[in-house]
Amino acid sequence: MLKLEKLNKSFGEHHALVDITTTFPEHQTTVILGPSGSGKSTLLRSLNLLERPESGRYFFDDDVFDFAKGISVKDTLNIRKRTEMVFQGYNLFPHLTVLKNIMEGPIQVLRQPKTKVEKDAHALLAKVGLADKADVYPNQLSGGQAQRVAIARSLAMQPKYILLDEPTSALDPELELEVLKVLKQISTEKRSMIIVTHNMAFAREVADKIIFIEDGHILFDGSNERFFKTDNKRIADFISAMTFANI
Amino acid sequence: MWDIIVNATPQLVVAGLKYTIPISIVSFLLGLILALITALIRLSSKKGLFRILKAIFRFYVWLFRSTPLLVQLFIVYFGLPYLKIAVIAPEGIKLTPLVAGIITFSLNTGAYCSETIRASILSIPKGQWEAAFSIGMTRSQALSRIVLPQAVRVSLPPLANSFIGLVKDTSLAASITIVEMFEVSQQIAAENYQPLVMYCLVAALYAIACSLLSWLQGYLEKVTSRYVTNAD
Repeated sequence: MLKLEKLNKSFGEHHALVDITTTFPEHQTTVILGPSGSGKSTLLRSLNLLERPESGRYFFDDDVFDFAKGISVKDTLNIRKRTEMVFQGYNLFPHLTVLKNIMEGPIQVLRQPKTKVEKDAHALLAKVGLADKADVYPNQLSGGQAQRVAIARSLAMQPKYILLDEPTSALDPELELEVLKVLKQISTEKRSMIIVTHNMAFAREVADKIIFIEDGHILFDGSNERFFKTDNKRIADFISAMTFANI
Repeated sequence: MWDIIVNATPQLVVAGLKYTIPISIVSFLLGLILALITALIRLSSKKGLFRILKAIFRFYVWLFRSTPLLVQLFIVYFGLPYLKIAVIAPEGIKLTPLVAGIITFSLNTGAYCSETIRASILSIPKGQWEAAFSIGMTRSQALSRIVLPQAVRVSLPPLANSFIGLVKDTSLAASITIVEMFEVSQQIAAENYQPLVMYCLVAALYAIACSLLSWLQGYLEKVTSRYVTNAD
């Protein structure tokens, strides 16, 4: 279980996250929604410590971390081993083949034996539908393929939580669908996922829980069903603006 | 003219093989190590005492880029014997010409190359560090496994520039009594009164050496760029 308590993060004068308190249940998919610049990505990145909030407490299973006191290098590595980020821009390692991209973490960080890692990596590539791409370099992949490799790379670390930061924002609808299918598949496996997305239809499809953020504040925190039936005017406006139904 | 060339070339080539090339290679390798250390220290975000270390290395780069190489050679070879430090060097620091030359060339090329390496590390997108951190890598793992291998490709052309520059700059070692290729050409020219032929000949030999290096650069660029060009 991941839990945040009174998390605050600013960039200079800009208060990106204000007193964020929420939970990210295990074996569920939590979707974070909100307008651009609302703080959704900052919230997600804080969970992987790519951003360092100034204050707040971070509960991870039985561990408690206090941002105000700072988090040691050892704890940071420990948290990052248990969480994996999938980036909007994929961030595959361009100098490594697809297979090596996936093997890098398990070998260098988890120190697993190479033969096992290689076998697992091939299995993961098959899972995301790219078994034939093992030996190519990332620059030869389409955006959709690259993102599926990035998902496989994160799965290879067997993280407790997979964090996805607008994983399909850089893709055209056809390629987006490839990636969403894979994510849908993963979400049905009851893995713990936290997804930042602008795709309402996808959120509705996969979310167990939805968090809506605006200007660094949580406006909604609850179940998928309740979110789409909300009578909060701001959220209702957001939902209708993001779906074409009301054009 | 032909017999001048035929007679002089072997002597020049021997001097090149004995001094010019070894001085260039050793100085460049030492300079590269120094450059990498300098770049990493200057890029570090560590605070406290480390900031003094950063200032020292910034000063070093400034010093060697702001003064002429020939003057640096003179200070190290002719000047340092007069630098008398109690206990460590009460008699002054006396270096052989070869050692003085290699030290100066290493420090000089190290200062320039550190800027190349620093820039090449900075040119790697932040997302690469973040992806490395995300799979749980430490800073040094991210650097050595992910960032540096990509930075090498970026830094190759400017580093090759520095190396080629260094090969030619070793001709300055003549002025601190090292009998390298240019010094030999001067000696022969003084005997046979053929400065035009002799200096053109030695220029051609430098050009051949540098052309080989350009070719090597091209080869290394191809090898390190495999992942950016489509294989098929």
